[in-house]
Amino acid sequence: MIEIVNLEKVYKKKIALSITELIIRENEFIGLVGNNGAGKTTLLSLILDLIEPTKGYVKSKETLVSESDDWKNYTGSYLNEGFLIPFLTPFEFLAFIGNLHGKKNEEVKSFLNENSLFFTEEFSSTKYIRELSAGNKNKLGILASFISEPEILLLDEPFSNLDPSSQSWLKSKLKKLNEEGVTILISSHDLKHVTEICNRILLLEKGIIIKDNNTNTETLVELERYFNK
Amino acid sequence: MRIKLNIGMINLLIHHWKEKQRSFFWKKSIILNIVFGIVGFYILLNVFVIGFFSDQIILKLYKNKDLLETYTGLLFYYFSLDLIIRFLYQKLPTISIQPYLTLPIKKSTLLHYPLLKSGLSFFNIVAILFFIPFFIKVVCTTQPFLFCFTWFTTLLSLIIINNFLNFSFKKYFSKYPLLILFLLTIVGVLIFLDKTKNVSCTAYFSNTILIIANTPFLVIIPIVLSFLTYYMAYFLLKKNSYIEDTYRNNRIKTDSFLFLKQFGEIGDLLRIEIKMILRNKRPKSMFYMSILLLFYGFIFYQNKTLDNYMILIFTGLFLPSLFAINHGQFFFSWESSFFDSYLTNKIAISNYIKSKYLFYLILSILGYVLTLPYAIISYKIGIINGAILLFNIGISSIIIIFFCTYNAERINLGKIQFMNYEGTGLGQFLLLVPIIGIPMLIYYIFKIFNIPQYTYYALGGIGIIGIAFNKYLLQILIKQFKKRKYKMALGFRQK
Repeated sequence: MIEIVNLEKVYKKKIALSITELIIRENEFIGLVGNNGAGKTTLLSLILDLIEPTKGYVKSKETLVSESDDWKNYTGSYLNEGFLIPFLTPFEFLAFIGNLHGKKNEEVKSFLNENSLFFTEEFSSTKYIRELSAGNKNKLGILASFISEPEILLLDEPFSNLDPSSQSWLKSKLKKLNEEGVTILISSHDLKHVTEICNRILLLEKGIIIKDNNTNTETLVELERYFNK
Repeated sequence: MRIKLNIGMINLLIHHWKEKQRSFFWKKSIILNIVFGIVGFYILLNVFVIGFFSDQIILKLYKNKDLLETYTGLLFYYFSLDLIIRFLYQKLPTISIQPYLTLPIKKSTLLHYPLLKSGLSFFNIVAILFFIPFFIKVVCTTQPFLFCFTWFTTLLSLIIINNFLNFSFKKYFSKYPLLILFLLTIVGVLIFLDKTKNVSCTAYFSNTILIIANTPFLVIIPIVLSFLTYYMAYFLLKKNSYIEDTYRNNRIKTDSFLFLKQFGEIGDLLRIEIKMILRNKRPKSMFYMSILLLFYGFIFYQNKTLDNYMILIFTGLFLPSLFAINHGQFFFSWESSFFDSYLTNKIAISNYIKSKYLFYLILSILGYVLTLPYAIISYKIGIINGAILLFNIGISSIIIIFFCTYNAERINLGKIQFMNYEGTGLGQFLLLVPIIGIPMLIYYIFKIFNIPQYTYYALGGIGIIGIAFNKYLLQILIKQFKKRKYKMALGFRQK
């Protein structure tokens, strides 16, 4: 589904990311782990064509992401606040994204009702997004990435700033989406969450994938050993 | 306690200075800062020179009248306009108060600080530079000491009153920006009544001040009034100093400009752009400023200039385009805080660029319509501006959008426009070279052949050609955008 070949991103002579080959197959659920500066966000941004690779390329469904806009039709993503439009209300924002994917406002409303356990801020709220708390901004961004019913989902640290109930809601939601066939790639600092829901873990260190394993009972222990060293 | 308070004040001053010094913009462009410094100095110099010769100017304009009385009367205009201009442009010195609230600094210090600091505002310096030459040249040399003292104290109090009245005005009325039109109307009516000699505001004003100046103990009135306005501002600020108060409570319409929906993706983008203007300080204040600048027409369009094609064309180039150029120069920068959202969502780049083009077109037409009343002065204005409208739609729009892709500086939507150069690069000035320069060049060529009146046919014609090749030109823009988008996105992410 996603094919990454010889991908390299260099900032001022410092290698931020260097991947010889990485294939993300359909319906995989991948967890990206690594310390700050390991290259997680850089990788996600490259897949989303937000930054220009120094070398190499990313293909999504056999087309270069930098050449065509097609991937936008089936890719949902939320990396950070920059994905939200600060002066809209939550509903206006969701409706805007929904409309882009041909959804009517009624459908957006019923989508919000379905997910009302997650986004507790009243969606008819007249608060602008810029006035929401960090947690609610994060939730809104994540919901917006779901609304298009994407085939691929890219989320950067989706569990940060979330309260415990929202974390467990999100975990089961992601699992369910994955069972329905969605390919998911998330980054996280929470090893327990990642090993619990992902079926493949990529461990990044200084821009290089140093471990690429399918999740099994040993994974959590292995990862904890790596991070505690 | 006294010592602590002073330390608090000094610390605040140091932090404020550091904030200014370390701001992204200040560090970045030395050349621009020098340019702005020179411009600022030039303005102050002008004010001083006008102030210095104000006695002679008045003697020329108002023969056979008492100099001091006339001058004092004219200050009525000065202070009313001063208040309006302050309302529009004066930035209140704010310090982000939140980090200090829990520190052992007296809260009153935190509140007095920005108020006292506003005393150093550009507007106050202008006022003092303007009055002092006249005061020394005329008042001091002809009047007794006590009179000079009270006269000057009264003026000083009026400056202070305006300064803090504006503070309160802004806090109260920033929610109702249309109030400025109301204020303008009042001042306009007063000036009209004064001019037609129905009610002589200037005479009342000068009488009041001269009575105060002649009866020294009355000077207490303006002094008390200035303290009153100070404390009014202080208590207003105090009321607003709790963090939770920063939330808006008024309801907003959840959906507006629905008619744009029928244009699909492009319509959606236009709706966001309009909401962006309506809901954010900086683009909104820029829009209002453009409305005010429309009145420049009364200066440029005068009987003696109506045969001067250069002035007509130059005015036609900038006056109706105010909205389009002011807003358009930051087309992508306005979206800097959510640019990534546009890049990753299902928005075709071609539609994105088209929405920018359409918005430029809408703003150009808006400017044309709003300046159309000037055609009452002369039908020529309507025709020339019409030709320039075609030129703007066909050519300028493309040039502006093209150059916008080189502007990769983040803009904070929440700051007010005046004297705000965030996002302004040398590119903004270079941008004006082709869109004003090309038409002026055409004018000069036609002038050499002694047919300047044909310039607007040429401009209209070029505009129509541009419109005819619109599809092709948009393709160039789309290519350019695709080439530049990474650099733009990178710049926009720098907070």
